[in-house]
Amino acid sequence: MDERRSDLKKIIMDTKTLPTLPGVINKLNSLSNDDKSSVQEMARIVSADQVLSARILRLANSPSYGFYRVSTISNAMILLGVNVVKSLALSSSIFEIMEKNSVGLWEHSLGTATAAGIIARKLALPEVEEITTAGLLHDIGKVIIGLKCAEQMPEIRRQIKLDDLYISEAEKAVLDTDHAEVGGWLSKSWFLPDKLSEPITCHHNVACSEDHRVKTSVVHLADVLIKASGFGDSGDSYVPPIQQLAWDQLKLDESLLQEIVVELEDKLVEVKNFSLELASAAVA
Amino acid sequence: MQKIPLNLAAAEMVLARDIFKNDSPTGMPICGKGTELSDSLISRLQQMGVQSLYVEGHPVWQEGDRGLTEQLADLDKRFSKTKDNRYNATLLEVYRSHFTAAMGDDGGRTEE
Repeated sequence: MDERRSDLKKIIMDTKTLPTLPGVINKLNSLSNDDKSSVQEMARIVSADQVLSARILRLANSPSYGFYRVSTISNAMILLGVNVVKSLALSSSIFEIMEKNSVGLWEHSLGTATAAGIIARKLALPEVEEITTAGLLHDIGKVIIGLKCAEQMPEIRRQIKLDDLYISEAEKAVLDTDHAEVGGWLSKSWFLPDKLSEPITCHHNVACSEDHRVKTSVVHLADVLIKASGFGDSGDSYVPPIQQLAWDQLKLDESLLQEIVVELEDKLVEVKNFSLELASAAVA
Repeated sequence: MQKIPLNLAAAEMVLARDIFKNDSPTGMPICGKGTELSDSLISRLQQMGVQSLYVEGHPVWQEGDRGLTEQLADLDKRFSKTKDNRYNATLLEVYRSHFTAAMGDDGGRTEE
């Protein structure tokens, strides 16, 4: 790694100003890895965080789950499952970091998460929740670059516009690194599991993932689909190439792609409404 | 398929999704998808407090809505860097036919 890049890595990874994950998530992680822990213990931790509790109850009572009136956190956790609660905790804290930055990027991330979930379900893959969360987080590096390299952002934007570059090309030209690599650094410093950090680091180059190539391929494809759909704003407006490795890994073909696109576009109508709702709630 | 507020609904539009009481999927279904709206049905829905519904095609045009030609032009622009990639070329075709179908009468929905 050359000097410029390692300097930048230092700046970006300056832990004092790096957004941190709430302690709730680390505690939940360690409890959920422990066989002896009970849902009641986890519920107690979640209950300490009022915002998270409210979100979990809202989700458990949301019509899409179709449960009847859930009023306690432990019931909600049993109904939703610990993994959903963990994903919710992670994504709601990411949302707080993201919403201050740009609605366009948030929509792109939310859309990619939706697409990743649809692809994973269609292909009957295990760990759909994790894949969805990886989709939500795949561009977290852009948020960090936006926060830490605010001075260089106009230059990056100028290059994208004038030279018709992809955002990663412009980032490489200006910063000597790109959002995927920065996302990888960040996921290391947050101690995210490999099944999240690999898709984040490798979503533009599936070949670099080692243990979670299928998940990475899903996130890669989800990112491409969302850009093809023109949903949200990820920084540039060009559809990236679908990598052959990802295509083969997921055993895609035209009819499968068609089914995925139809389902995705159908769902994006709701995502758009949801994102408008959140944006107006954030303003209010 | 398009989501419209009930006050813009008109006779002869066709529902693209079921309507439920209180707009909640756990509520009582009021009206199934595929139903053609009529003036009397619309006023019944108004009485039942339905706020919005999904209809086939794109019958209501508002400011800022983009027509099919514009949408397809945007699509081509987004794919301009990668249409030589054969997987992307496949995806472009899938999207092209999806957009064309979505703006047409069948709402782009396939059999479920």
